[in-house]
Amino acid sequence: MALSVESARPRHADAGEEGQGAAASAFLAPATFIVALMLIAPLVLLARFSVNRFDPTELMIDAVTPANFVRFFTDPFYVQVMRVTVSVAVMSTALCLLFGLPIAYRLARTQSRRKSMLMLLIILPLFVGSTVRTVGWMILFAHGGMVDVIAERWLGAHVDLMYTTTAVVAGIVSINLPFVILTLQSVFEGIDARLEEAARGLGAAPGRAFRRIVWPLALPGVMIAGILCFILAMNAYATPYLLGGPRFQMMAPLIYYEFGSNNNWPFAAALAFILMGTTLLLTTLSNTLVPRRYRG
Amino acid sequence: MHDDPTEPGPTARATLRRRTLFASAAILAAPAILGRAARAAGGQIVVGTWAGDYGNLLKANVEDPILVPKGYEVIQDAGDEPPRIAKMIAQKRLPHGTVDVACVQAVAAYQLNALELLEKLDESKVPNLKNVRAELRTDYFAPHIWSPQVLIYNPDRVPNPPTSFGDLLDPKYKGKIGFPDVNAFYVMMAAALYGSGNASDFDKAKELAVKLNAQNPHLYPSTDQAGPPFKTGEIDVGVMWLARVNMWQNAGIPVKASFPKEGCILYVSGMVVPKNAPNKEGAFAYLDAMLEPSAQQRFAERMGYLPTVTNAPLTGKVGEQLALPDPPPKLVVPDFAYTSKVMADIQEWWKKTTAHD
Repeated sequence: MALSVESARPRHADAGEEGQGAAASAFLAPATFIVALMLIAPLVLLARFSVNRFDPTELMIDAVTPANFVRFFTDPFYVQVMRVTVSVAVMSTALCLLFGLPIAYRLARTQSRRKSMLMLLIILPLFVGSTVRTVGWMILFAHGGMVDVIAERWLGAHVDLMYTTTAVVAGIVSINLPFVILTLQSVFEGIDARLEEAARGLGAAPGRAFRRIVWPLALPGVMIAGILCFILAMNAYATPYLLGGPRFQMMAPLIYYEFGSNNNWPFAAALAFILMGTTLLLTTLSNTLVPRRYRG
Repeated sequence: MHDDPTEPGPTARATLRRRTLFASAAILAAPAILGRAARAAGGQIVVGTWAGDYGNLLKANVEDPILVPKGYEVIQDAGDEPPRIAKMIAQKRLPHGTVDVACVQAVAAYQLNALELLEKLDESKVPNLKNVRAELRTDYFAPHIWSPQVLIYNPDRVPNPPTSFGDLLDPKYKGKIGFPDVNAFYVMMAAALYGSGNASDFDKAKELAVKLNAQNPHLYPSTDQAGPPFKTGEIDVGVMWLARVNMWQNAGIPVKASFPKEGCILYVSGMVVPKNAPNKEGAFAYLDAMLEPSAQQRFAERMGYLPTVTNAPLTGKVGEQLALPDPPPKLVVPDFAYTSKVMADIQEWWKKTTAHD
């Protein structure tokens, strides 16, 4: 893929190394085969389900019909659900990058002895399950919760953040931010600090040195961090379900609802494919945001 | 192999370790293997049930005191209802499924029966079925618990309690109504019952649901989340099961129940036996144990649901809390044959009607 940060390929591979390469491939083959099988077989099954028909009493009936896909694209409600999903994912990604970039850069360049402790602090939230963290947000945002009580005391007005887009975006950002920071931190670590020093030595101000030297080198890595965050946000389930509430619709809770509560497996399978397709398409398109000369 | 056993080489050591491992594994597994043989008299019963209180109460009042002494080994497959149903449908073609007893709501039982997945039940297989309330009996489903739908309110802030679904449409309750979104279908049935006297009249229900939605009700993702807002003052009135009202009262939430004069929709939950259950005899024994008066009374005490059998009278505080008013309200068992056909469409309609723009 064009976005890989660095591909270290030996230039002069002799016969011995090639033999070792073949042996390594042979070792990798069974695992690759199993992973491919476990990934492709369910996808094929899902594809088959998605063209079946649904009946409330018979449930899934064998058929080959595009009806489920047509239903999605012709019903403004479902198209709107996708629009909300994409906009929440884009907002969360933008905020994660905005908050993550300075922290990751500072962390990568710090010489402090407390660096490992700072790293631990960033990883620490990952030790708590995402649902538990979401419950924490619920306590903060609920009517009579901390935010509400503070707002009432200081502003004299109720602030109900529960079941709003703001709550969902805040929840997703809190879950994705450590992933973004860790990815970006390793990207910045990989950029030789001496390049910046050289730029400054040649008279560039710190801002300019970052913009002209660090940023172009970091861009492919920043894209990977962004894509990681975007994919996680597109597929978020617990956060939109618990913090968004029943009136807030995103794709992953909708898929589970169609699969679980309605037992409409064909439509749920079609929705899953549409979500996967949209994510893939947008991820591929985002690649074009990086100028060709900066791609890895 | 090395000849000197006191100094084993790497291979011998590995073999030894493997032998020790096998031996230890055999010793560790022995009680399980022997135990299984010892318990084979009753056999193993796998019960697909909800986790939490419901599952714990089954263990404490049905499994441990009644089934275990008879030599049964019971394993709970705990989880939510939708995956349980999905699993049963997916296992339709298998000669042996993975559960012997599945706990489901009455409407789901109807759907599973329509798919011809369920074993027929009668008194020859489950003797205690003879005590089941007549209005709850079917030949494919053993009802376990039931509760009427009531209007719930906070008596501190609502001095004149609502007496019908129509009262919720009063502008004074705007923004102060709340119920779990998962109950929306039942709330629509309550609307239909109020609007036309027929709980299956969904045209009328839609008309009233639009009016109810204009009142800006709070919808909660789960039933548990609909209780605390009565305490914080977020909501004052709602539609709920009587069982939950009692459970919340016991938890210190200031709520009371009011029986709607047009009648109450019934929530019925129980158990079914899949046709491909590996241990059908065990499954029937489980159903029979669940219908025992002692087990039924404990569920009423702990969860506030009413017994489905007529030979389990309730006394004391729980008897008072769960007493139906005199004269008794009209109790309406939903028409499952019809509701199971329209449920998906109605729920989709509700989702679209209540979604944020």
